[in-house]
Amino acid sequence: MSAKLTPVRIADDVFEFQVDTSRHAQALASELRSAGLAEDVVAGLDRVSIRFDPARADQVTTWLAGIQSINLTGEAAGPIIHIPVQYGGDFGPDLASICEAMGLTMDAFVAMHTESEHLVEMIGFTPGFSYISGLPESFEVPRLGTPRPRVPAGSVGISAAFTGIYALAGPGGWPLIGRTQERLFDPEAAEPLRLRPGQREKFKAD
Amino acid sequence: MLRILKAGLQSTLQGAPRLGHRHLGIPYAGPADPLSMALANRLVGNTHNATCVEVTFGGFEAEVEADCAVAVTGAAGRLSVSGREKSAHETWHLRTGDTIKIDPPQVGARTYLSIRAGFKARAQFCSTSTYLPASLGGYEGRALMPDDVLVPARESVMSESLKTPDALRPIFTHAFALRACVSAETDLLAPEARAAVFSETFTAGRQATRMGLSLEGHILSVASDGKMKSAPVFPGIVQCPPSGTPIVLLCDAQTTGGYPRIASIARCDRHLLGQVRPGDQITLLHRAPDAALIDFTEKQALLDRWLR
Repeated sequence: MSAKLTPVRIADDVFEFQVDTSRHAQALASELRSAGLAEDVVAGLDRVSIRFDPARADQVTTWLAGIQSINLTGEAAGPIIHIPVQYGGDFGPDLASICEAMGLTMDAFVAMHTESEHLVEMIGFTPGFSYISGLPESFEVPRLGTPRPRVPAGSVGISAAFTGIYALAGPGGWPLIGRTQERLFDPEAAEPLRLRPGQREKFKAD
Repeated sequence: MLRILKAGLQSTLQGAPRLGHRHLGIPYAGPADPLSMALANRLVGNTHNATCVEVTFGGFEAEVEADCAVAVTGAAGRLSVSGREKSAHETWHLRTGDTIKIDPPQVGARTYLSIRAGFKARAQFCSTSTYLPASLGGYEGRALMPDDVLVPARESVMSESLKTPDALRPIFTHAFALRACVSAETDLLAPEARAAVFSETFTAGRQATRMGLSLEGHILSVASDGKMKSAPVFPGIVQCPPSGTPIVLLCDAQTTGGYPRIASIARCDRHLLGQVRPGDQITLLHRAPDAALIDFTEKQALLDRWLR
């Protein structure tokens, strides 16, 4: 367990906690969000930031100073979601060069990516963009030197040892390995996000 | 009711920021200059965040299709109604057939057009504000185009005529002094870079969007291995990528980022970011966070005498 939780001021209207894992970050963020005292509570991979209304500065300062520990009981993990991905080719223009750099055949890469169980660690950057762990820690895929001005919705990329899925079309700096046809962000749906933090997930070759 | 004749570089409908959804990756959106939008709404008797048109670099024309009261604030080039010159910061009573024209401003970047009762717009995630990358809110989630028809939420004539008090009219120049605080990774800056952030004058880069603007002219040396874990960011946060050219985040900013957060523009001055043009000068004035909050409270109290 981490040392005492200490809120750090990262802007005049934002406090931030540093925590051990994304699981801790998500658990703390949910708890803080449910208190209803913040304008926004956002989890990063190992941070939780709280933006507040300046009119509530004293109340929020006292509240956050009193946070002693993170309750990890949380929700049950739920069933595994399967995300079909078309690997390589036009859908994954960087797969060949990634495989070459790593000394893997594309088949071996796809086998590895589809066999392991993955975990959605965080949603961030743009609506529905998912940061997914599950690749070996030894993976060190660097971001593109120059981001692409536009990658299509459903593009699947990897960066370091994370898989990321672009829920929407837009600029993107992650090398792309494939694409899913699944709709991951639907603003009109009762549940707009298909993937949520803590979701267990497997990729399958489509 | 207004029919768009010319939409300029980028005109969108903006209302309240989309607070409380950043954990889904959904940015705030809302006006880039919320103070100017609040002043525009005040002149037609609306609440601060009633939906307005945000016009970027002018070039906007619209035809009036039903009598209405409107107001224009923010960056203002020449303003006219059916060829007659008009002043910003006053209620305009328009008649069917009139034509509104907002010419490109010489200083400042964004102009706000309010209408009595606010424009009707699609609300998504509790806000009518347009967020273009995800096509959320506003007018079909997109920028306005010629022939779009903007409808007020209710009856939009009024009898009263209002003027913004002279002392409360923001004056824009090509130089911005913005109060700012240190942020989470300020300590990763080399000592001379840290001093430079809060003393040198930067130049706004060519990319000045609703997402962010770059601060050019001084490369900052930042001790980052490029492996920082993605962390939350907000409008006002200043990130420093390995290139050493910092980026200030604006209203449409992404929700998380992997670059060191080296400063944060204080809440009291964030509204000014929406008026920065490429090439403008920017200086950050260091403030302790609590002092910056006092500045905010005092500025708000001053404005509230008119806005409330």
